[in-house]
Amino acid sequence: MTGSYDYRLVTLSVVMAICAAYAALDLAGRTTASRGRVRLVWLAGGATAMGLGIWSMHYIGMLAFHLPVPVFYDWPTVLVSLFAAILASGVALFVVSRRRMDWGQALAGSAIMGSGIATMHYIGMAAMRLTAMHTYDSLLVVLSVVVAIAMSLVALWLSFHLREHAKTTWPKKCASALVMGAGVAAMHYTGMAAAKFTPSLMSPDLSHAVHVSPLGVAAISSVTLLVLGLVSISSLVDRRFAAQTSALTESELLKRELENLVNELKKSEDRLRVLIETIPALAWTSLADGSNDFSNQRLLEYMGISLEQMQGAGWTTPFHPEDIGEHLVKWRSALATGETFENEARVRRAADGEYRWFLIRGLPLRDERGNIVKWYGTMTDIEDRKRAEEALRKANADLAHITRVITMGELTASIAHEINQPLAAIVTNADACMVWLSNEPPNLEEARAAVESIAQDGTRASEVIQHIRAMFTKNTYERTSVRVNDLIREVVALLQAGASKNQVELQTELASDLPPAVGDRVQVQQVIVNLALNGIEAMGAVIDRPRRLVIRSERQNSEELLVAVRDSGVGIDAKDFKRIFDAFFTTKAQGMGMGLSICRSIVEAHGGRLWASANGDYGATFQFTLPADRDTAS
Amino acid sequence: MTDPDPVVFVVDDDASVRDAVKRLIASVGLRVETFGSAHEFLNHKRPDGPGCLVLDVRLPDLGGLEFQRALAESDIHIPIIFITGHGDIPMSVRAMKAGAVEFLTKPFRGQELLGAIQEAIAKDRVAWSERAQMKELRARYGSLTVREREVLSLVVSGLLNKQIGAELGTSELTIKTHRGHVMQKMGAQSLAELVKMFERLKPADRKQ
Repeated sequence: MTGSYDYRLVTLSVVMAICAAYAALDLAGRTTASRGRVRLVWLAGGATAMGLGIWSMHYIGMLAFHLPVPVFYDWPTVLVSLFAAILASGVALFVVSRRRMDWGQALAGSAIMGSGIATMHYIGMAAMRLTAMHTYDSLLVVLSVVVAIAMSLVALWLSFHLREHAKTTWPKKCASALVMGAGVAAMHYTGMAAAKFTPSLMSPDLSHAVHVSPLGVAAISSVTLLVLGLVSISSLVDRRFAAQTSALTESELLKRELENLVNELKKSEDRLRVLIETIPALAWTSLADGSNDFSNQRLLEYMGISLEQMQGAGWTTPFHPEDIGEHLVKWRSALATGETFENEARVRRAADGEYRWFLIRGLPLRDERGNIVKWYGTMTDIEDRKRAEEALRKANADLAHITRVITMGELTASIAHEINQPLAAIVTNADACMVWLSNEPPNLEEARAAVESIAQDGTRASEVIQHIRAMFTKNTYERTSVRVNDLIREVVALLQAGASKNQVELQTELASDLPPAVGDRVQVQQVIVNLALNGIEAMGAVIDRPRRLVIRSERQNSEELLVAVRDSGVGIDAKDFKRIFDAFFTTKAQGMGMGLSICRSIVEAHGGRLWASANGDYGATFQFTLPADRDTAS
Repeated sequence: MTDPDPVVFVVDDDASVRDAVKRLIASVGLRVETFGSAHEFLNHKRPDGPGCLVLDVRLPDLGGLEFQRALAESDIHIPIIFITGHGDIPMSVRAMKAGAVEFLTKPFRGQELLGAIQEAIAKDRVAWSERAQMKELRARYGSLTVREREVLSLVVSGLLNKQIGAELGTSELTIKTHRGHVMQKMGAQSLAELVKMFERLKPADRKQ
């Protein structure tokens, strides 16, 4: 007796199998994702749905098989088979929903699940009540069990590995469901093939037996699909909900982390603030446009202004009026160029109104593209250092002056002594002569001797003066090649401190084609220093125009070069012009009247000339020529 | 007793100044001796008599002020007139405090120097005669015997011959003889003169 298959129902059974497989994969994921009682519910629900799916696939497959005799089913046995299917599904779900799954567990699981499905199948077969006997081809039975176990192994493996990748592997999941569904169907139809039906006259036991009508098939299918659908939907909903929950949890975590970070930042900012407020320095920051955005308490207290004033235009107020202009110029220049800012300025201390010198420095902070984001700066009190510098400069100037005065003083004392000796002799002889002549009788012999001595002493005095001039003239200096421009630069360096103290601007206009001069380096320098010092002194009283001293060098011709020292001082009275180079002539309150005289002696000894002229506007120019060194001149 | 002629000593390292000063001093009839250095003057045997020293402050071997101090330490008393090529006030003040008569800055007028010299000589003449008298007195006192000196000290203390005799354990007549010798040797005309002479002698002189 052979049966035939209703292929529509076969297709339905395969679809059922695939749906059940899909639901199984879905449920495996959900079961894994849940914990405790929820997990148990998912496990139970999942196993029921899946078991129901497999079971209904089986019965639809059975119904698709038409035998020439009516077939009834013993419903208690049918329930037992359903129970077996659910149990097998439960085992499968339990296995795949564990954290880990090794091969032993996988094999054991698949053995139990496969056996369970096979058990379900053969119990289902046993539930058939018909007027025929069915025997089994034992080889095919074994094959069907092997197929069931193999199918279970594949199903477990797929479920395990795909359980949590619902979103990314949806097509994979479908493919897996197809494979699994096909496997379940293959097992069923192999099992069916193993059964041989032979007609029998013995009527079956029809107590508890029911007939499955096409309507029943539809009902079983519908209920099963409904259950599977519900399970899938609830799984979907649960997954969404879980995803949201986990997203919520994640955002909660993120928020907490952020709060921690903010707290940390706050702490470190507090530490920095404490640091900035307690360091013994005035600190500030500015924005890229130069406006102040932070100043530490010390700075505000020192200046005696509020943070609002500091951030507005008020920050310039405590600066010394003489310094603020330059300070602003330098600050704007630093803002424009982005170079390190550095300036020294006097800033008023609010506590006592004293202006103190500060070194103000600022460094730009740049972003990764090199744009300036902020300026960080400090103000350092350098008043003490400034004072020490000033004292040192003054001491230097005083020392230089004292040295000059002492040198000049000793020189004049020595000259005075040298001249005084013959003068004393002359006067004494003259007086003695008078006495000898007025004696009664006059002693003409002694008087003549006295007059002779007078003549001799007069000659001697003249010789002393000659000798002094000679000290500054020939034979007392070396003749070497002198680079006058270098000499002028040295003089400027030497006098710079003194000049700036007197607010005198020192300038040079040096000819690049200047030939070297012949002469004594030290003496030529002495002349330039003397002329420059005279110029600086002449400008001491000038307040209505710049105090400017210009030292110029110039090539006159191939044989001579010229050095001019021009000041913007009080100038020289017309009546004094002829006398300024005379020894002991001076217009200065504390002058010796030797400087220009010696200068002229030196220049003339070098074969040059020294003269003075009034400038067109203010002051005077002293200039001298020196012979060029033609041996080394180019 | 007539005073010897005063002598003016001139110490200056400048020959022409030295000669001019010598000529000037000689023109008023004073004896003058010149020296080129301090040591030359110190090594020279000076005649006994009043005088003065014209000294240049700047000397090559010894500064004028140190020279002044050296003289005082050697118990040589002679008025000093300083002359200097560059008179500075602190130096002249020190010189005057140390006993200088005058401090003249070169070139000086002849009358200034001569006036200072006259003043110095007059001063030294008094000092010199004082010194000469003392010297004479000491010489007379030195000629007394020990006993005569004992008698002298008791006589000037106002004791009578008789009392002196008792004191010295000898007769009044012997004392009278000693007393006569003392009056004669000391050249005293009266007891009052003898007392004055004795008082001028310093204790150091009396122990001779």
